[in-house]
Amino acid sequence: MANPLRLPMVPRALRNLVSRPATRRYPYEIRPRFEGARGTIEFDVETCNYCMLCMRRCPAAAITVVREDRIWSIEHLTCIGCNVCVEVCNKNSLSMAKESKPVHTHAEVGPQGQRPGHEEWHGPDPAIAAAAKAAAAAT
Amino acid sequence: MKRTIIPFGPQHPVLPEPLVLDLILEDERVVDAVPTIGYIHRGLEMMVERVEYTEMGFVAERICGICSFMHGMGYCVSLEAIMNVEVPERARWLRIIWAEISRVQSHLLWLGLGADAFGFENLFMHCWRMREEILDIFEKTTGGRIIHSVNRIGGVKRDVSDAELAAIVVKLEELGKAFEKTANVFGKDPSIRHRLSGVGVLSADDARAVDAVGPMARASGVVMDTRLSGTYGYDQVDFEPVTETAGDCLARVVVRMREVQQSIGLVRQAVEKMPKGEGMPLENKPRGNPVGETYTRLEQPRGEVLYYVKANGTKNLERFRARTPTFANIPAMIKLVRGCDLADVPNIILTIDPCISCTER
Ligand code: SF4
Ligand code: SF4
Repeated sequence: MANPLRLPMVPRALRNLVSRPATRRYPYEIRPRFEGARGTIEFDVETCNYCMLCMRRCPAAAITVVREDRIWSIEHLTCIGCNVCVEVCNKNSLSMAKESKPVHTHAEVGPQGQRPGHEEWHGPDPAIAAAAKAAAAAT
Repeated sequence: MKRTIIPFGPQHPVLPEPLVLDLILEDERVVDAVPTIGYIHRGLEMMVERVEYTEMGFVAERICGICSFMHGMGYCVSLEAIMNVEVPERARWLRIIWAEISRVQSHLLWLGLGADAFGFENLFMHCWRMREEILDIFEKTTGGRIIHSVNRIGGVKRDVSDAELAAIVVKLEELGKAFEKTANVFGKDPSIRHRLSGVGVLSADDARAVDAVGPMARASGVVMDTRLSGTYGYDQVDFEPVTETAGDCLARVVVRMREVQQSIGLVRQAVEKMPKGEGMPLENKPRGNPVGETYTRLEQPRGEVLYYVKANGTKNLERFRARTPTFANIPAMIKLVRGCDLADVPNIILTIDPCISCTER
């Protein structure tokens, strides 16, 4: 029978009794995510020209773009955060935020009804936008 | 004597992976084992028909959550070979650095699971605490903790500044020092020795006969390491494959412990030898669609992995196949389980470091 005081893990185990825990007290203390971590895709409806490149290159088919109706939508629960869409967008309409929602409980209305994680933007109709621009230029 | 069949798995006592074995027992002794694979088959290889070759790398990464960096790298290296793309030098070194850090991560994870398997919870916690710091390094440098998504065909997507690389080396060396104390426990604790030494002995001849790969073969004294072939920049770093001669469960633990230190050394060497500076080229974009076929071998934490890629000039590959190290080690595992006690089965299975997600893809 080995002497328990000479077991190699005993000093460490005794130290564990008095030392601080190695983990954080999670819900009260949250480590911010590091700079450059991949979280959620963010979309800027002002600059997008609905070229559909992001939709074609997305490996998870998370993005749907309808050019005629000026709709850009993403399924956040399908997105795998690979950053490809951000790289391919020529208009810099997309960016990767480092934070991500831990859960999508809120069901937003999507094309197929209520769905969590679905987010959709409606760009201005090109004719209306042009008219508004012309009106702004006239005044 | 009457034989009993005990179904072992898909819920493994320690491993959160659906490994299935039918153990045929005579009294307490295992006389044979019949493996069944297919519980976690996801058909990732078939996805080449639907996913374009430029995006397939992200699918390949998801073959396994522990060797994800190397799977992505293996896919990109295969496509680079087919399309004759030269990878910029700094990108090649960055790949080596990330690959070696993921080896440290994988071995720490496994050592923790191993400790858990023989009932040493405290040691399990310590190994995983160290692994957590490595995951932080990954999150800082690649943007993801488990799935890194930095490999692209022709290079890597992110650069790591020289100052940050130096800080990583310092951090890893500190970790290596702290790990030595933990390694001491694995090597010296009498209960661990009692549980592991002399159990599941694979001789060098047997290891060659059943084609064991990776730490499994090296623990039996077979010098076998794909990195020795010097591809992907490994010819520019100095290292000796870690080998042990005993071939038992303890030797397999010791090989992995020493490989943790070796990989930390390799990261240091790579950081010293890589070209320095900001804004160096990291990616050469491939042109056109790939035509041709190729085999690629890489040394993953668990052993040699083999990729076969066949491309026919369209956007979708014709065939993508990965032969993962666990698949190659299953015959060795069956050989070891035969003749051992039922109580030793979980330990023996665990020391091959099985990754069923890899095996069944
Ligand atoms: S987000 Fe960018 S890539 Fe996608 S449709 Fe708009 S402009 Fe094109
Ligand atoms: S990050 Fe990747 S998966 Fe997510 S929307 Fe962009 S391309 Fe698709």
